[in-house]
Amino acid sequence: MATVTLKNAKKQFGAVEIIKGIDLSVADGEFCVFVGPSGCGKSTLLRMIAGLEDFTSGSLQIGGKEMAKVESADRGVAMVFQSYALYPHMTVKQNIGFGLKMTGHSLADIEGRTKRAADMLQLEPLLDRKPSQLSGGQRQRVAIGRAIVRNPEVFLFDEPLSNLDAALRVQMRIQIGKLHHDLKATMIYVTHDQVEAMTMADKIVVLHAGRIEQVGSPLELYHRPNNMFVAGFIGSPKMNFVNVEAGTGSSLKLPGGGTVKIDGMKAKLSGKLTLGIRPEHVELAKKTADANVSTVVRAAEYLGSETMFYVTLPDGTEAAVKADGLAKTQVGDTLLLHFPPKACHVFDPDGKTLHNGDLSK
Amino acid sequence: MFPRPIEKSAPWVGIAYKVFLPIALILWLLPLIGIAITSVRPASDLASGNYFGMPSGFAFVENYSSVFKNSNIGWYILNSFRVTIPTVIGAVALSCLTGYALAVYKFKSNLFVFFLFVAGNFVPFQILAIPVRDLTLKMGLYDTMTGLVLFHVAFQTGFCTLFMRNFMKALPFALIESARVEGVNEFKIFWHIVLPLVRPAMAALAVLIFTFIWNDYFWATVMAQSADVRPVTAGMNELKGQYKVAWELISAAAIVAALPPVAMFFLMQKHFIAGLTLGATKG
Repeated sequence: MATVTLKNAKKQFGAVEIIKGIDLSVADGEFCVFVGPSGCGKSTLLRMIAGLEDFTSGSLQIGGKEMAKVESADRGVAMVFQSYALYPHMTVKQNIGFGLKMTGHSLADIEGRTKRAADMLQLEPLLDRKPSQLSGGQRQRVAIGRAIVRNPEVFLFDEPLSNLDAALRVQMRIQIGKLHHDLKATMIYVTHDQVEAMTMADKIVVLHAGRIEQVGSPLELYHRPNNMFVAGFIGSPKMNFVNVEAGTGSSLKLPGGGTVKIDGMKAKLSGKLTLGIRPEHVELAKKTADANVSTVVRAAEYLGSETMFYVTLPDGTEAAVKADGLAKTQVGDTLLLHFPPKACHVFDPDGKTLHNGDLSK
Repeated sequence: MFPRPIEKSAPWVGIAYKVFLPIALILWLLPLIGIAITSVRPASDLASGNYFGMPSGFAFVENYSSVFKNSNIGWYILNSFRVTIPTVIGAVALSCLTGYALAVYKFKSNLFVFFLFVAGNFVPFQILAIPVRDLTLKMGLYDTMTGLVLFHVAFQTGFCTLFMRNFMKALPFALIESARVEGVNEFKIFWHIVLPLVRPAMAALAVLIFTFIWNDYFWATVMAQSADVRPVTAGMNELKGQYKVAWELISAAAIVAALPPVAMFFLMQKHFIAGLTLGATKG
């Protein structure tokens, strides 16, 4: 078990800087998820921790020991690849024991550890099969088993669920969560799927263009995003952004002439700003008097438990609204929206957060 | 369904197909049929000018036994094996190593070295005949088995490297990375992961090189002189005789000499398991 600390980690491929100085500390036993859009450098960062990519500069400490220049094998990490990377010519049992056998572990030791991993992952009946005879989910479990037997200090997962279908993904998510609970090892997990990030992580690291945008617990990122990028990235469907202008005091002028008065606003507002509100926090207004803005429904998805409306604001901005499943509004109808002030976030023109709404009030 | 069955196309296509296919087949096989028939033709047929007509008798036993009696062909076939087998082993082993290095490692001159291997294939070996002969003479390798094997290995490694490198490059790189993270050293990765996965390529390459070297006539005549070294392709010359060319014997010898590569092909056949790596990665 170990902490992982990155200090000013940088990575360049030729003249292109992929990782632009990352400072991060992952506590012992923590489940840390790197999340970000494709090309943000999250996989590269994981591979740097694994020792598959060199550091251009900066330091990496695992369990307090400097590891940036140490061979991958001596870092005490185990990695699970997106493609599983099972050796096709070996049985499941051989796959799991291969690394141990090659590094000179005794047969009895390999046998014992394989059995323990197989028990944990219900691989027992599959031990004599070849990878080609396994389903996607089974292959994924073998790949995880191969990581477990090495008793690593840190587990590294590189988008391990992205090749699985939706139902299996949910199941494996729970299994990996349980594994983390049982092993109490430090785990670093890369994904582009923010649902995976939200459901599994103790700590989420949002990466964008080689930099950390924000680090925090899932709910922290959901409720108090530092900037527009994080606000838009965390949460599904994504947060609505509306162009507004500062009015008198702490009120904001919405498109179409309505206003919202933000409570507990500390910063002084001026000029053009952006208002952010999540689709699930927008309320439908019955009367014009209660509404902040009047919109036209462009598309509707009736999901039973809820209905998603995609609407157009008077200035052409598109927004999503999550309403209850009984809403009867049709495409082309007018929908009156109410923005509860305590759910509103305000961002300056650079995308920095000026104010986070507080739903607990 | 694709391709469309011939029965479903227009009648004239079907008829043309049935007429031209056998013609094409016979044309293609004609040299082989010619050799096979000549090899069982009695010597008198050839003496009387009956080269292409029906043989007047079936002289299979006479011709084939006299090939073995009148020449050292048995010895030459053994020589051919003594040249071919070490060359196949040497060229395939070397090219697995070079192929792995070029496919897996990133170093500055990687592509340059790779192109050198490829470019070597484009040098016509006829222009190398005299320099190579001089070189082997100076090194004391002229007219020796070692010399012949060494030069064959050197000339074949270029093509073999191209072949193995491209095959290894197509393996999922995550397999190698995964083993590296597990602490498996590079040679063990090569031996336990990469080699088993490129076995079909090694088998294909072995058959190809076996055929190339077995059928080589050029280097056999340039670099070998004595009967101790001469492989079967060059050795067959002995059957030419002093006053006349015994075509029936040469044909019979040619067929005998062609058997080992054919046997080799059928032996290695079962190793051409395509898609061994299927299921390695994606589900």
